[in-house]
Amino acid sequence: MTAGHHPTEPSPIERRVAALESLLVERGLITSDVVDAVVETYEHDVGPLNGARVVARAWVDDDYRARLLSDGTRAIGELGYGGAEGEHLVVLENTPAVHNLVVCTLCSCYPWPVLGLPPSWYKSFAYRARAVREPRAVMAEFGTVVPDEVEVRVWDSSAEVRYMVLPQRPPGTDGLDEEALAALVTRDHMIGVVQ
Amino acid sequence: MSVSARKGLPADVPRRNGELVFAAPWEGRAFGLAAAYVEATGVGWAAFRTHLVAAIADLPEGTPYYEAWVEGLERLVTAHG
Repeated sequence: MTAGHHPTEPSPIERRVAALESLLVERGLITSDVVDAVVETYEHDVGPLNGARVVARAWVDDDYRARLLSDGTRAIGELGYGGAEGEHLVVLENTPAVHNLVVCTLCSCYPWPVLGLPPSWYKSFAYRARAVREPRAVMAEFGTVVPDEVEVRVWDSSAEVRYMVLPQRPPGTDGLDEEALAALVTRDHMIGVVQ
Repeated sequence: MSVSARKGLPADVPRRNGELVFAAPWEGRAFGLAAAYVEATGVGWAAFRTHLVAAIADLPEGTPYYEAWVEGLERLVTAHG
């Protein structure tokens, strides 16, 4: 922590984090430079654009989509994405008959390599509790109304598997190239709270 | 990650849905500490997650997420050394 940047006294939680960092540095387990690099990476490099590129590739390349659905980790690795929290990636395909929604009921499990770190609402008690119990009501709060005839499947990220939703390609996008298609895909599509 | 690996990505990638990755510097620090510790010790994210899940369950319902994260990391360090 850089206490000098704070105009006021550090808060209790800031002091706790600083103490933990000092302890781990003193034990020779970590260096502050490594921590800096991790923070920098997740603030700037790893985000939902990675997942959007995976989705766009699947939309334009049927063979890739087949590989993605049969072995998500490997197919995502083809585009250069992988690492922590990406060891067992499973991609769930939305269809006209099925809509998928992802949650982690116990904590905040999330596919970091393709989506970055989860948004605050994903980690909230309300989302964790309600996504399973009343998924349609939760999605409605994101402006998503899934027709009654469409089955909603909710997937609870376990200690092993990380899920990502492959949304349906929007109609009227036949003329778009991969990059333009990727720009249509948001984090919320790939969690499944929007369609 | 190197600067070259970032080439071609808009600067606002992780924020494209309107949210900062970390709401305060200490949250990023807490995240980075866990990642560095897990990597350096080889203890594995699964071990961290076990403590995070327990911390979330033990702390009051409205506890900010990254406070539970810090609690989980402290427990992991205590248990694992």
